[in-house]
Amino acid sequence: MAVYDLQEQEQLDEIKTWWKQHGNLVTSILLAAAIGVAGWQGWNWYQGRQSAQAAVVFGVLQKAALEGDAQRLKAAAGELLENYKGSTYASLGALTAAKVAFDGGDLKTAKVQLAWVAENGKDELRDLGRLRLAAVLLDEKSYDEALKQVEAKPAPAFAARYAEVRGDIFLAQDMKDEARKAFADALAAIDAAAKAGSGAQDAQAAAAYRQVLQQKADALGEAK
Amino acid sequence: MFDAVRNNKRIVQVFLGLITLPFAFWGVESYIRNAGDSRDVATVGGTPITLQQYQQAWRNQQERLRGALGPNYNPALMESPEARLAVVNSLVDQRVLLLEANKRRLMASDDLLRDVISKIPALQEDGKFSAARYETALKAQGLTQTGFEAQLRQDLTLQQLVGSVSDTGMVAAAAAEAMLRIQAEERQVAELRIVPEQFAAQAKPSAEAMQKFYEENRASFEIPEQVRAEFVQLSVDALLAQLVVTPEEIKSWYEGHKDRYQQSEERRASHILIPSGSDVAQAKSKAEAVLKEVQQNPAKFADIAKRESKDPGSASKGGDLGFFGKGSMVKPFEDAVFSQKEGELSGLVQSDFGFHIIKVTGIKGGKLKTLDEVKPEIEAELKRQAASRKFAEAAEAFSNTVYEQSDSLKPAADRFKLPLQQTGWFSRRGGQNAGVLGNEKALAALFGEDVLKNKRNTEAVEIAPNTLVAARIVEHKPASLKPFDTVKGQIEEILKIQESNALAKKAGEEKLAQLKAGEDKLGWALVKNVSRMEGSRQVPPAALQAIFKADAGKLPAYTGVEFPNNGGYVLYKIMKVSQPSSLDEGKRKVLQKEYTSLVAQEDFAAYLAGLRARYKVEVNKAALEDNKDR
Repeated sequence: MAVYDLQEQEQLDEIKTWWKQHGNLVTSILLAAAIGVAGWQGWNWYQGRQSAQAAVVFGVLQKAALEGDAQRLKAAAGELLENYKGSTYASLGALTAAKVAFDGGDLKTAKVQLAWVAENGKDELRDLGRLRLAAVLLDEKSYDEALKQVEAKPAPAFAARYAEVRGDIFLAQDMKDEARKAFADALAAIDAAAKAGSGAQDAQAAAAYRQVLQQKADALGEAK
Repeated sequence: MFDAVRNNKRIVQVFLGLITLPFAFWGVESYIRNAGDSRDVATVGGTPITLQQYQQAWRNQQERLRGALGPNYNPALMESPEARLAVVNSLVDQRVLLLEANKRRLMASDDLLRDVISKIPALQEDGKFSAARYETALKAQGLTQTGFEAQLRQDLTLQQLVGSVSDTGMVAAAAAEAMLRIQAEERQVAELRIVPEQFAAQAKPSAEAMQKFYEENRASFEIPEQVRAEFVQLSVDALLAQLVVTPEEIKSWYEGHKDRYQQSEERRASHILIPSGSDVAQAKSKAEAVLKEVQQNPAKFADIAKRESKDPGSASKGGDLGFFGKGSMVKPFEDAVFSQKEGELSGLVQSDFGFHIIKVTGIKGGKLKTLDEVKPEIEAELKRQAASRKFAEAAEAFSNTVYEQSDSLKPAADRFKLPLQQTGWFSRRGGQNAGVLGNEKALAALFGEDVLKNKRNTEAVEIAPNTLVAARIVEHKPASLKPFDTVKGQIEEILKIQESNALAKKAGEEKLAQLKAGEDKLGWALVKNVSRMEGSRQVPPAALQAIFKADAGKLPAYTGVEFPNNGGYVLYKIMKVSQPSSLDEGKRKVLQKEYTSLVAQEDFAAYLAGLRARYKVEVNKAALEDNKDR
């Protein structure tokens, strides 16, 4: 063993005492950090794998949608919602499946798919899910439920569309004053977005959509 | 200093520990990474869109536009600030989608990637994917397989995201039906137009009003700066006319390039094939027997070929192979055919197929074109070559001459024997009078300060491939304002129209108020049915909106609108509101589809706008502006 001078001895003792006092704490902190990092990596890996598997199912779903194979489409969408809840592919798959079902007159399936997106989707996809769910509910004449969907506050970009669908719902119930106000809100929202430069970038398409809103509003005449 | 370290060891240790920590987690690159370049055109969610990426996208867009518009393409289209911003915006859109796809861990599957690659038509051979072709194609484009597949996977992933949002737009049937009713609704209206001409007599613009109008609209009474110019044009065509080619030169070219004027020879032959099979000797004796028969009866070659030849392609045609050139038959066969005379019969010719008996039945081509035949061709060719050469030599000298002797174009014209041409008056905007100087580059040079003020030559401007022009100003008229007195009449006319239009509008509005109060004593005319669907063909858009906006709860209802372009005022009396008894099913479908796609478009636009808001987007307008003079 090496020979230490007095000062070094002292320091060694000092370190030893310090370690005795805080050793456990330091070890447990380091351990916790290591576990945290490993857990984070593992979680990432797991998510990546889930997502890759979801992508495969989504590919099948897309192909089925393209080929109009309703059976396979429904199965794939079901698998996504069941086994890959956490993946965004579940939302994308549900939107696609809902569209195909809606066009085929199958409101029930469309409703289930969209309700899932409205419930579990993230950010803009959830907003889209609610918007479209409201359309399906409107066709089912469940006006109150439909209204509930589009009375939720979406990302500002969806404000015009939400207001428009609110108007559609009021109009279907012949509530003209409410509908008039909703369409006016939609017009105001779209104009505000255009002014702020945060609206649609394709000016021509934006103008065409605005005209549709204007016509809907005009058809209800002036407020009394 | 080291004492301080020794005395405060604990502090130093802690400090060192703290320094090492970040490296353990973030690595070194976050310290040395470029924190952002002021020349980036935008940042999206912390990632830059670089100037290079922007320029590439800009060029691609330019190419697309040029391809789509062809000769109507105008370079200024892509130079406007709006066009630049549109390019940046599309890059930003793509970037936010990419960031979102990464954040949500979206990535197209291997299956999809494989499926897409195997279906690229250029990579298929006999209807099947060919790995060899794939490799060659990648090499030809200078891509690695990993790189290409990663890019393709990214594209496919974005397609999945975009498609799932933009192709899935839905419109409630109830809403579509309502829209349909709006579009199809018919209103029967009577019209009463109050034209401004009625009030022309009352419209008397005051002198002050005219003066005011003149002051406020100076720009429209300005005559732009104009010039008359002279120019010299150096082009290959101009040089062509100056060149002379001697007959000797033509002859020597002809001698030196005879192979060009040699038409390749083709021959027609018939043959009888006796395949060698496994027993060559037997085949040979069989062939010899057939040969003998043919030699005795040369006229019956075709019949014998039909009977004896084992060449499936030609036997039924009496052995005829048609015309063919050198290089299309096996060597021994070709040699025999091209050494025989027409009509001559060969002996036995052995090839890989077996023994042939050949008869040449026709010879064509193989002649050399005579000098006289090709003289004009050679003369044009030689002139063109000489002119391009001369142009290449002259171009620099021409540029130097117009630059060095910048107060006249005559030296350049004399030196290159070119005519000095003159234009009529024209402005900076070019036009017919400017002739070849109407070219954008030439105009810019001509109206440059030095050329305009000091009457110097412009530099030699390339206005088209192999065409240089230098110009100078002969006469210059500065921009001027037309004096008030000369335009007074014009102004009076404009103001009269405006005033009478205002009077018409006033009268119209008064009448409308009376109508709404229940007094209708007007002479209505022109009853017609209008609907939104057909509307724009029947009445102007402003009137259409007014007619359908009017509350038709109580009929007749009245509305009025000012006609565009000082067209006065129009009153409408709405007499009947109805839905068509039946709507054509085709029309219904078209409308429904249009409405759905419009809504889907809006959905997608809103989705993108949502992403843009979520991933902070900053467009660097200054970098875009700087980039103007690329």
